[in-house]
Amino acid sequence: MKINLKGLFNRKEKKNSRLYAKSFEIRKAMLEMCINAGKGHVTSCLSCVDILVALYYADLMRFDAKCPDSFNRDRLVLSKGQASPALYTILADLGFFDKADLKGFTKLDGKLAVHLQKSVPGVELTVGSLGQGYGVAAGMALSAKMNRELHNVFAILGDGECYEGSIWETAMFASHNNLNNLITIVDRNFLCVTDFTEDLVALEPMEDKWKSFGFGVIRINGHCFEEILAAIEPLRSHSSAKPTVIIADTVKGKGVKSLCYDPLWHGCAPGNKVATQCIADLKRRYEDGQ
Amino acid sequence: MANKTQRDVFFDRVYELARVDRDVIIVSADMSAPALDKFRRDLPMQFVNVGIAEQNAILIASGLAKEGKKVFCYAIAPFITLRCLEQIRVNSCINEIPITIVGMGVGLGYHSDGPTHHLIEDVAIMRSFPGINILNTTDNIMAASLVSIAANSSVTNYIRLDKDFHDDVYSAGADFSSGLNKIKEGRKMIVATGAMVHSACEIAASDYGVIDLFQIPINREAFIEAINGVEKIITLEEHFLAGGMGSAVCELFNDCDIKISVKRLGLNARAGYESCYKYGGREIIRDNFGLGFESIKEEANNFFK
Repeated sequence: MKINLKGLFNRKEKKNSRLYAKSFEIRKAMLEMCINAGKGHVTSCLSCVDILVALYYADLMRFDAKCPDSFNRDRLVLSKGQASPALYTILADLGFFDKADLKGFTKLDGKLAVHLQKSVPGVELTVGSLGQGYGVAAGMALSAKMNRELHNVFAILGDGECYEGSIWETAMFASHNNLNNLITIVDRNFLCVTDFTEDLVALEPMEDKWKSFGFGVIRINGHCFEEILAAIEPLRSHSSAKPTVIIADTVKGKGVKSLCYDPLWHGCAPGNKVATQCIADLKRRYEDGQ
Repeated sequence: MANKTQRDVFFDRVYELARVDRDVIIVSADMSAPALDKFRRDLPMQFVNVGIAEQNAILIASGLAKEGKKVFCYAIAPFITLRCLEQIRVNSCINEIPITIVGMGVGLGYHSDGPTHHLIEDVAIMRSFPGINILNTTDNIMAASLVSIAANSSVTNYIRLDKDFHDDVYSAGADFSSGLNKIKEGRKMIVATGAMVHSACEIAASDYGVIDLFQIPINREAFIEAINGVEKIITLEEHFLAGGMGSAVCELFNDCDIKISVKRLGLNARAGYESCYKYGGREIIRDNFGLGFESIKEEANNFFK
């Protein structure tokens, strides 16, 4: 099955200059960190960077970098734990820990590994086994409901993760229990490990699947800050009784042209010449404002 | 014979605890029990039914526990353990989120239900995870006592409840803090666990000693003290021999250079699961696995001769 991925992004991206600049900064720092280590799921990070930037820099999430475990914080479970470099770069930028620690990514005596680990300030849970973070996030949201606490639990899932049956066990549970404090975001980048999802085992129609599980569904361009903000903002105050999923259509490798639309870039960091090319790609893209 | 099962006294105690502590939660994979009916009626906000979805039960329980709840996660034993191994490994062990896993009907307890419902491999598997405390209940007194031990624990406890009605081996107020109890003194000792403690007591009569080894990992100091002066040991468990309680005892002896002769009695795996298809009661299946009461007695008498 051939699908026109580029056609999905004909919707015009409006620019929000502050977040747009931040997304460049984070992409660049993340890319340099992974290139330096020769490790990291770079393309998986690039597809969800804008979602993370919106959550952390547009006041969508409550957090306190000086007190990462503060009780009233919103919780974020990045269930697709392979995107840890994107989150680590943001947490370091916000002062959860020293930026110098990024240089130790996957290195001897370093504190950061390829998959997300809870020992890092600002990280809720060690993840890496796909399909698990979401259920724990639902349990955390249920606890908040039981205690009448007002914080939200954000769960970011990879689309490839939605092949795991446990995602749908949790989805059924979350909707039955009206966990409207659980805000689910699917990073729909259409690529899995070896192939495009629709050629592998089709995940579409994604919206219908979630709707049939009792979710409110919003489908957005996951690289457009206006759309991300417009989707998430009302959910923070629990505007709907049902839980909502945001299916964020994204590009795996977004921002770095030479890494896009190629399944074989999954799980790698570019090396040598390609690395230089990637940084150049990224700069050109932001300078051109494409 | 007791008129309540371990499950009922266990959940009666959970109910008492939950009445005064709203952080005590039961997550059930659509399993009920007479004792749970009043829990659901009186404390509906503390009872979470996830449906027949054991993997999700562990995940939801872990999320609740991460936020400070004291969670008892309950289902039929093979499904809340073997089906969810990775959920347990990642959340209870790697993320160190303590919950209490309550498995109903261990060993050959569901004797009429066929092999899918038997659980005769779990001790070997669960004890390979660091951070899981296996508690194999012997009688109703112990089942009730384990509730507060588990609720106040900083690690995940896996409680193996037996399905049968058993007489109490212990008296009210018995101490279960050391993970084992010497029920009878003897220089020839049967070290048994779970339902087999009852067989061990009967076989031992006035001839042999009995230790109830209900916790794995074994409390090394307490066990070494308990076997001081013992000449020979038989381990007895309703579990495949590979990796079970008897294996744990032999590993401990090897590591501590203890030279006591040990004979392990458990389910013989040579014929695979064939014996699980025998019906007519638990003893019939045990007998087919080479663990019938008479054969244990004969093995013990020969070994201790």
